[in-house]
This record gives sequence, structure tokens and C-alpha cells, in this order.
Amino acid sequence: MSARDTILNAVRGGLGHTAVDPAAVRREADALLQDLPAIRPPLLADGLVEAFIARVTSPKVAATAECIGSASELPAAVGRYLEACGLPAVVALQPAAPLQDLDWSGFALHDQVAPDETIAIGVARWGIAETGSLVFHSGADTPILANFLPLHHLVMVRADTILPFLDDYAAVTAGQRPPRNVNIVTGASGTTDIEGSLVLGAHGPRFLHVVIVGEQPGAQTTAP
Amino acid sequence: MHEATISFKERAKEALADPTLKLAIDRTTGTAERKRAVAMTQFPQFEAARERGKRIKDHVIANLDHYLLEFERNAIASGAKVYWASTAEEASQIVVSLCQQAGAKRVTRVKSMLGEEIGLPHALDEAGIERVETDLAEHIVQLGGDRPSHIVWPSMHRTREQVSEMFKRMHRAPHQEETIEAMVDSARRELRDKFLTADVAISGANFLVADTGATCTVTNEGNAELTTTPPRVHIVTAGIEKLVPSTEHAFLLLRLLVRSATGADVTQYTTFHCGPKQQGDRDGPEEFHIVLVDNGRTRMLREGMKEMLRCIRCGACMNHCVVFRQLGGHVYGGTYPGPMGAVLTPLFDGLEKSRDLPHACTMNGKCQEVCPVAIPLPTLLRGWRDRSWREGLEPATVRFGLGIHTFVASRPRLYHLGVAIAIRVMRLFSRGGVVKGMPGLGAWTAYREFPAPAKRTFMEMYKDQEKGQ
Repeated sequence: MSARDTILNAVRGGLGHTAVDPAAVRREADALLQDLPAIRPPLLADGLVEAFIARVTSPKVAATAECIGSASELPAAVGRYLEACGLPAVVALQPAAPLQDLDWSGFALHDQVAPDETIAIGVARWGIAETGSLVFHSGADTPILANFLPLHHLVMVRADTILPFLDDYAAVTAGQRPPRNVNIVTGASGTTDIEGSLVLGAHGPRFLHVVIVGEQPGAQTTAP
Repeated sequence: MHEATISFKERAKEALADPTLKLAIDRTTGTAERKRAVAMTQFPQFEAARERGKRIKDHVIANLDHYLLEFERNAIASGAKVYWASTAEEASQIVVSLCQQAGAKRVTRVKSMLGEEIGLPHALDEAGIERVETDLAEHIVQLGGDRPSHIVWPSMHRTREQVSEMFKRMHRAPHQEETIEAMVDSARRELRDKFLTADVAISGANFLVADTGATCTVTNEGNAELTTTPPRVHIVTAGIEKLVPSTEHAFLLLRLLVRSATGADVTQYTTFHCGPKQQGDRDGPEEFHIVLVDNGRTRMLREGMKEMLRCIRCGACMNHCVVFRQLGGHVYGGTYPGPMGAVLTPLFDGLEKSRDLPHACTMNGKCQEVCPVAIPLPTLLRGWRDRSWREGLEPATVRFGLGIHTFVASRPRLYHLGVAIAIRVMRLFSRGGVVKGMPGLGAWTAYREFPAPAKRTFMEMYKDQEKGQ
């Protein structure tokens, strides 16, 4: 008997059943997703964008954030960030249309992210207000490593793609073919492996700066 | 998986005598306990979420065969190859064979407790394949040539001074400054090129999502994605209890897992891996293999330990365990330490080799209280104690002592007489409200206080009162 049959038989023997009714299992699984507000943590503000920014910039996530009115203002925002950090205008740009269509004059761009890349700019498909997370799907315009190799990761996200909760992301993508990787990124890379003390920039980015597009710049903006 | 060459009691004695170890344990578990407590205050719905999480796991376990087949079907449809392994040896053998088929010289590994459980590091070393641990703590464990001592912080037993010394001795471009930041940087430099030049990546899974066939890893360092993306082949090993019906269910459990483990709301990186690289993708592996491992899990179903299959490996039970916090993880002698380890190790290694573990518990119930899926750990530990007694594994001294106790306790007159004498003798040795220096009680009073007993027994006082009425 194959290991597969051995295991399945042992499971059925242990459970004392021979067959399950898939429809009944489905109903039970769906019932476990009812009344979600009762089991979700509170958002930090009433507005989605405000709640998202409050979480992104909270000490737990420890990223920085700013708002711009439209995507065309992104190169200027990146320029300000680089200047504030004393970094050269040499950046790896994610090969995605919303970024590539912008006017990057004054920047030296490349789309391959090097192992020791200093700055990479990306665009997230969604933001999650609950956790201050950014969601990426790997694909032709989204290399996975671009989110992990750079030291400074600057990410644009549209205000109207910010979802309230993690499970809202699952709901909006349910039934679609998943990409190879769904990367949910919350803050910069960190480790507490030496004596439990938090250090940023373990293997992935040390700095994460989030630029929210479609909201007027407001008081929530934080400097890098 | 680990043969205990010396007894639990001897290992415990050594650990208790090591002041550095105690310091290291306190630094990490103390922080974890504090951060979890804060996270609880920020999530008032936690109790309700915990109840739901428990029900999700119970639902999956009750329909495990259905979910295993659904997961297999969807994983295969996504382009993954799925393997099944009944034992640790079978699982390791499948992984080693896949590495050999890929012609692997170097493999990178993401920390996985299941990998430790099936002895994968050892199997890869035996096969002559260079193994690079990429989680910082596992990297420290690998450099130190020892074993993980905690399931979330495997190198918790090392102080910063010890880590610094190892990095200076073994890194190509070690840190110059004595800060934890500089040490983390040294590891970043050391592992960078290894991530990018490995032939095979091996990871575990925090969740297996039945309705997509995806596996999910959670890390804070980003080492999982740096590990699983560049090599041509990605292999996942996962226990069959890791299934969840859908991504939504996974998120509900994720909220419980991360808060219970580190006190954060979510890990920095939560990644779902579904099949190999797709057409047009810029990066990702060409081959994606998933090994589903039983290794005792179906025995848990059969032998009344079903509730233990709810465990999501957060480590909260050990962070809050008074015994673990004195001893650290190595003393437990198995892959999993602390209360959950004391339940699991007898199953993996045999009760005859590990009967001390279920006894190394004060039954204060803290582990069950903090468990995010409410596993009745004390009850399961009592189950092992009971079984150890029934199978005659308890040593003669214990059987003799309990025999005397049973003889006396089942004869009320003799019992009352014995207690009346005992408390009077103990009072002779009492100073300032505690018993000190009494022969036969030294093993207890060396580490703990024994309060001085009352002047008279309860029964003596009770009888007096009866007479008075």
C-alpha cells in the first residue's frame, strides 16, 4: 500500500468514518466565517486611509508614510525621500506600467534588482488597514525578489485599493487563479533572534516607505 | 529524534547550574510574555477569535481526509508535485532524493519545526549536501553545532556575547562593533550570496490552503522569500494537520498565531506559495514539491490526542511555563520543548524514553490558558502520566512510595495518626513560618519554600468543634 493510502486509511480509521459529504463540509467551513466583526481586531481610525497610515507608522510596524494627490507626483516624492536620506537618484523601478509611465527624468533607472540594491520602487496591489500591510502578486511586472533585496523599499499604493481587513483581501481574490507568490509585506524586515531585541534589516529591507496616492497630503504624513 | 544519552534529571541539573542560560532564557521569554500581554489588551475580541480558531482546527481535523484530498487536487492543478510520507525517515528520504535528482550541491533552508522533527538537517548532512540555514536563529544554531531550544527563537539559549564570538570566528566579514545591529548585519553579509546561488530551497508551511493548493510561510526576516525564489527547485515539508479550508480561514488563525508567538499583530512577511513559477513570471522556482508528513499524527487521532493536532506552533505555552523558564529547551531532549513538547515527545520517541517529561509540570494550567487554540495541555500530560503508570514504566521507588501512600490513605485511622505525627515533627524544623533543614525534605526545600504546617490537623480541629456543639 502506498504511503498515501496508508495515511488516508489511518485518518479515516482514527476518525471512524469512511466518507464525508463535501457539501456538508463546505457549509460548516462557511459557517466558521460568519460574524467576522466579532473576531476581528479594531481599526485604529474610522477612515480606511487614516487607519492604514496609523498602522503603517505605529511603533509595531515602524514604517514611514506620505500621501500624494496623484501618481504623477511620485517621482518628486521619491526625490524628496532620497534627498532626506542623502541617497543618490539611482533606483530599481518595478517594471509595472503605473510606475514606468511616470516622468522619471533626473533619475537613473534600472529594472533588475541587484543583490545589494540600495533603493527599489514598487507598487502594491492592495493595502490592508488592519495591519498596515501591502499585498503583492508575483508576475510579469512584479518580480518577487524586488520586495526583498533592496535596503530601502519605497512602495506606492492607491488609496482606493486599501481594504479594511486581511480577510477582505481573501474575499476579493476568492475564485481567481492564485499567483506563484502572494507576498503580504508589513513593515521592514526584522529579527528578534538575538536576545529578543528587535533589529531591522535582517535579510530584507531595513527601511519601508509607503506612498498613498489619491489622498490630499495631510497631517498623517511622516518623514523618512 | 534525539537519543537522550543522559537522563532528564541530569540534564535539568546541568541547566539549573548554568547562570548564563538562565539569563538568556529570561531575556527572550520575558520579552515575549510582556509583548503578548500588550497585544491582548489591543485585541478585545481575542477570546472570541480564539474560540473560532479552535473550531476551525477541530473542523479540519474532523474532515482531515476530505481536506487532504482537496489540497492534493488543487496543488497538483497549480503545477506542484505532492508526496506522502508516513514516517520521518520516509519524509527525509523523499527530500534527499529530490535534492539529488536536482543535482543539488547547496540547499538553503527556511526554519521549519517539521523539518527538525523528521531529522532533515541530519539527513541532508549525511547525503553530503551543503545545508545553509537562513533564519538568523537557525544560522546561529548551525554555527554552534547544537540544536534549537525554542520553536520560535531556536537560539534563545545563546547570549549576545556568545553569538558575537561565533560570528567573529566564522563569518567572512564579521562585525567590528559590539552591538546586536552590527551582528545582524554580519549575518546579512554572510548569507547574501548563499541565498542566490543555492540549487534547492526547502521550507515548511504554517498553513496548507485546501481550496487553492497553496502553502503559507510566515517570517519576520524575509528569509523565506529570499530562500524560496532564486533556486530552480522549492520543496515544502508539512505535517498533515496544517490544513485550513481557505485563505480566509488562514487569516483568522494567523491573527492568533502571531500575537501568541511574538505579540505582533502580523508577521512582517506572510507569503502564499502556489505552484511553480508561472508563464511570464520574472522569478520563482521551476519545480515545486510538497511532502505531506504523518509521522505520528494519525496515531494522535487514534490514541485520544486529537486536540494536540490543533497546535499551531506559536510557543506561547513554553514562554509562560515555569518549568521551561528555569530549564530552557534542550533539557526536554526532543524537537519540541515546553508543555507542547512534553505532550509530543513521548509520541515521537516512545514513553519509555521520555516518561520524565509529563512529570516536569506543576499543573498550574498557564499553558492551556495562553494557548491560542485552547489545547488542554495539562489533561494531555496527565494522560501520559496515567499511561506510564499503567504500562509499568514508573520506577520502583515511585511505585513503592505510591504503594505506601495508597495503603495509608485507604485506612483513615492510620492516615490521621500519620498526619498528626508528621505536622508535629515538621513544626520542630520550622523557622519564621517555613520548614528548614528537615531530613528527607531537602530536595524540595533547596529550591522552594515549604510553609510551616498548622499546629493541629484539620480533623483534630473538626472533631473538637463537633464536641463543642
